[in-house]
Amino acid sequence: MRAFAAWLGGTAILAALALTLDGYAADLFRKLLLVATLCVGFNFLFGIAGQLAISHIAFYGIGAYGVVVLAFQFGWPLPLAIIGSIVICGIVALLVAIPATRLEGFFLALATLAFAQLFSVVLLQGGEITGGPQGISGYAAPDYFGLSSGDGGYTLVIVAVFLMTLAILVRLDHSWFGRACRAIRDNPATAAAMGVDVFRTKVAAFTLTSTLAGVTGIAYAFTDNYLSPLVFGLEPMFLLLFMIVIGGAGRHAGAVIGAALLFLAPEVLEEWVGRHYMLGFGVLVVAAILFQPAGLMGLWDSARRRWGAR
Amino acid sequence: MTDLLELLVSVGEAGCIYGLVALSYLLVLRPTGIINFASGEWVALGAFAGVTLIAEGKLPWIAGLPLAVLAVGLIGWLSERLTVRPLVEGGASVLSPVLALLGMLVVYREAASLIWGVDNMFVPMPFGFGRVEIGPFAGSSQSFFILSVTLTVFFLVWLLFEKTVWGKAFEAVALNRMAAALMGINLKLVAVLAFSGGAAIAGLAGLLVAPITSVHFLMGLPLAVKGFTALVIGGVGRVEGALLGGLLLALVEKLTLRYAPIPSGFAIGVPFVMLILFLMLRPDGLLRAKGGS
Amino acid sequence: MKFTKQIMGLSVAAAMLSVVGIAGASAANIKIGIITDRVGNSAAWAKPIEQGLEMALKEINNSGGILGRKIELLYESDQSKPDVSATKARKLIDAGVVAILSISNSPSTQQAQTVTMKAKMPHMTPANSAGYLTTKLKNPYFFQMGPLGSTQIRTLMAYNKKNNFKRIGLVKDNSGLGTYLGRIFKQSLEKSGAKVVVEQTIEIGSTDAIPQMQKVRAAKPDAIYHSGIVVSAMSTFFKAYHQLGMKQPILGSFNLSVPRYLQVIPGMLEGVAFIDAFDPDKKQSRAFIASYKKAYGKTPFSLPAYGYDGLHVMAMAIKNAGSTDADKIRAAISAIKGYVGVLGAKGASVNFAANRAGFSTQGAVVRVIKNNAHGPVVHSGY
Repeated sequence: MRAFAAWLGGTAILAALALTLDGYAADLFRKLLLVATLCVGFNFLFGIAGQLAISHIAFYGIGAYGVVVLAFQFGWPLPLAIIGSIVICGIVALLVAIPATRLEGFFLALATLAFAQLFSVVLLQGGEITGGPQGISGYAAPDYFGLSSGDGGYTLVIVAVFLMTLAILVRLDHSWFGRACRAIRDNPATAAAMGVDVFRTKVAAFTLTSTLAGVTGIAYAFTDNYLSPLVFGLEPMFLLLFMIVIGGAGRHAGAVIGAALLFLAPEVLEEWVGRHYMLGFGVLVVAAILFQPAGLMGLWDSARRRWGAR
Repeated sequence: MTDLLELLVSVGEAGCIYGLVALSYLLVLRPTGIINFASGEWVALGAFAGVTLIAEGKLPWIAGLPLAVLAVGLIGWLSERLTVRPLVEGGASVLSPVLALLGMLVVYREAASLIWGVDNMFVPMPFGFGRVEIGPFAGSSQSFFILSVTLTVFFLVWLLFEKTVWGKAFEAVALNRMAAALMGINLKLVAVLAFSGGAAIAGLAGLLVAPITSVHFLMGLPLAVKGFTALVIGGVGRVEGALLGGLLLALVEKLTLRYAPIPSGFAIGVPFVMLILFLMLRPDGLLRAKGGS
Repeated sequence: MKFTKQIMGLSVAAAMLSVVGIAGASAANIKIGIITDRVGNSAAWAKPIEQGLEMALKEINNSGGILGRKIELLYESDQSKPDVSATKARKLIDAGVVAILSISNSPSTQQAQTVTMKAKMPHMTPANSAGYLTTKLKNPYFFQMGPLGSTQIRTLMAYNKKNNFKRIGLVKDNSGLGTYLGRIFKQSLEKSGAKVVVEQTIEIGSTDAIPQMQKVRAAKPDAIYHSGIVVSAMSTFFKAYHQLGMKQPILGSFNLSVPRYLQVIPGMLEGVAFIDAFDPDKKQSRAFIASYKKAYGKTPFSLPAYGYDGLHVMAMAIKNAGSTDADKIRAAISAIKGYVGVLGAKGASVNFAANRAGFSTQGAVVRVIKNNAHGPVVHSGY
C-alpha cells in the first residue's frame, strides 16, 4: 500500500514538473529523465546482474536511429516504426548477448566495447541512411493528442518511459528473476547449484535492459528531432558507469540520484570553476569509490541506521 | 613488392606501439587482476612529457627519453599508492580499482588539457625526418627507432621475467596471491612495480609515437583500445604475447587497409572485429600462460 | 575578470553576491549568447574564434555600443556535444539573449538550431562550413558565414583549371567534418568531369598512414585533394606522403589555414595550396591584424577573424533593426547585402539576401605554403 502511494506520488510530482517547467529547465528535466532511464536500466545490468557491458549507449543509439530511419527514411507509419525499432533492438541485443554473456568479467566489457565502436563506425559510414557525420535532421513526429507540440506534452511521454522502465525493473528485481540475477552476480557456481539457469538468465538480463535502452533512444529521437553520431559515443557510457558508482550500484534509487547529481553537476559547477569542472568530476568519482564504495545510497543507509528510522 | 616491404615496416612500427600498450596492461593485469583503462592516458602523458622535456626543454632524446619514462612511471606509482592500494587493503572487489582507474582516466586527461592546453603539440624526431632504407625495407628513421627501442624493451622485460627472481615473484603472485604471500613475497611491492612499470612502458609508447602523430590530450583512448585488442589477441599470460598480439593486429589492420576491397572508412572497424572474434573463438589468446591460467 | 570570478566561486555566498552584482549592472546591456566549446574536440578551434569575438566586443562597446547600450557576451560551453548544445541554447534564451552565435562543431550547431527554430531566436554560426546547416532545416532564424564546402572545392578547382587535373586522389579523416567535406569535394569534382580514382580515410589515433598513401600512390592521381581536419591524421598523412616519395600537388580545405599544422609538421607542407577566407593584404585585414597584434602580441590567422566578423555582423543587424526584437533582427540579417568584413577575397562581400549561407561564393581565396608560412593569396573565386 505504501509502495503504491509512493509510485502515485512520484508520478504526480514528475507529471506536475513536466507540465509546469519550460525553456531551459524543461530541457534539463527531459534530458535528465532520459539519462536517469538509461541509468536505471544499466544499473540492473551492471549493478544487479553484474554484467559490465559497455554497449548500453550503443543500444540507446540503435533505438533512436532505428525509429527515425524506419519512419522517415523508409516511410513507415510512426507506431509501426516504433515497434520495428524495438524489435530490432531486441534481436540485436539477443545476438550480442548469446556469445558475449559467456565471457567473464572484463572480457565482456571489451567485447561489448568493440560492438559499440563498430556501431559508431556504421553510423559514420552509413551514407544516406544514417546521414553519416551530419546525422539526421528535419523530421518531426506527427502530433498525436498534442503530445509532440509544445514543451509539456512531450515531457510527459519521457516521464512515462522513465516510470515504465523503473516499474518493470523494480518489479523484476523483486521477483525470482532479480534474485537469480543477484545470485549469479555474487557467485555463478552457487547460483547454478541452486538451480538457476545461469546462461539463460544472463542473456535475458542483457537483452531486456538493452532493449529498454533502445526504447529510451526512441524517446530521445523526438526530444530535439536531431540525431548525431556524436551523442552515442564512448564518453556517455563512462558517464553512466560513474553515475551508478556514485549513486550506489545495485540500487534503483541510487541510479536515479547518481544520474541527477552527475548530470546537473556540470551545469552548476561550470558557473563557478569554468572548464576546470571536468577535473573535479574525475576526482569526485575516484573519491567516491575510495571513501564511499556503496555510493550515496550507502550514506543514506548509514544515516538511517544512525537516526534509528526503522 | 616494394609496397609490401614498406608496409611491413609500417606494420612493425604500429605493432610495436600496440605491443607496448598491451605490455602496459599486462604488467598491471597479471599480478593484480586489474585491467587498467587509464593506460591510454599514460600513453598521452608520456607524449606530453616529451613536449616539456624535449620540445620545450631542448633536452636531447638520450636524456629526455629516460626522464619522460621515469616521470610517467612515478605517476603510475602514485596512482597505485593513492587509488588502488587503499581499495585492495580495504578488501574491495577487484571491480572497484578498475572503476577508480576509469575515474583517474578523466583526471589525467583533464589535467593534461589544463597544463598543456587543447592544441596539438610538436615533438621533434630524434634522428630527423627522412626515408631510411635497410636492405629491402624502407621506412622513416622513426620507424626503425621505434622498432629497435621496442624490441630492446621487450627483450629486457622478457629476461626479467624468465631469468630473475623478481620475475618469478611476479609470476607467483599472478598464479596464486595467497600462496605467494605465504612464501614471503611482498605483494605491495609487486603491485607498486607492476603499476610503475606499466605506466613507464605506456609512457614510452606515447613518447615514441609523439613525433609521428603530434601530441593531444585526447590521443590516449584510441591507442588504449588498440592496446587491449593486442593484449587479447596475444594472450594475457605472456610478455611475448603482447608483442605478438600487437604485430598481428597491425598486420591484419594494414593489410586490410592496403589490399582489401572495402572502403577505408569501414576498414577502421577491423580491430574491433578482431577483438570480438578472438574473445569468442580464442579467449586465452595466441599464447597461453605457463602453468595454467 | 575570469580569475576574480573563480575566486568568488569558492564560496556559495560570494558567488551569489557576484551573480546579483552582475545582473544589477547589466540590466541595460544587450546580451548575445555564445555557444562555444572549452573542453571537447572543438576547443582548439573555438578558442581563437573567442579572441576575435572579444576584439569586436571591445571595439563596439568603446565606440558607444549599439542602440545606446553596451553589448554583453554570455558564454556557454557545449563540450562539442550536440544534445548539450541544445540545452545551452535554451539556457541562453532564458537568460534573455537577443541572438546566439555558435562557434562549436557543426552537429552541435545543428541541434542547437532545433531550439532556436522553435523559439524564433536569431542564430548564426560565424565559422561552420557544413552546408547542411542551412539546407536540412527550414529555419529562417538561422544564418551561417563560413565558406561552404562546395565553395571551397570549386575555388580550388578553378585555381587548378590550367593544370586540368583529371585523375584525383581524395584523402580525408574519420572526423565528422572531414568525412562531410570529403563527400562534398567528391560530388563537385565528379560533376566537373574529373575522376576520383582513389578515396582514402585516415583514422584518428592511427600511428601512420602508409597503407592508405600506398593506395593513393598506386592509383597514380594527378593531384591529391585533402578534406581532413584532425591534426594527428594530417601529421601522419604528410609523413607518409614524403616517406613514400610522392610528388603530386596537394590541395587542402580551409582547415589548413590554421597555423597549428605548420608548428606540428614543420617543413612538410611546402607548396601545399589551401583554401582560406582570409586575405592579409586586404585593407580591412590590415587594420584587423594591427589591432590583433596589439591585443594578443602575435599575428592573427583566419579563425579569430571569423569571430570578429561574426559579432560585427550581428551587431550591425541589431543596429539596423533599431530594436532587439527577434523578428526585426532576423529581417535585418536577411537584408544584409554587400557587407565587407575582414574575411573574404578582395571585392567579395557577405550577402544574406539570397541565401542564409551568406559567405560569398567568390569570397574564398587560395594561398600556398612557402618557407613554412602561409603565403600571399594567389587566386580567388571561381
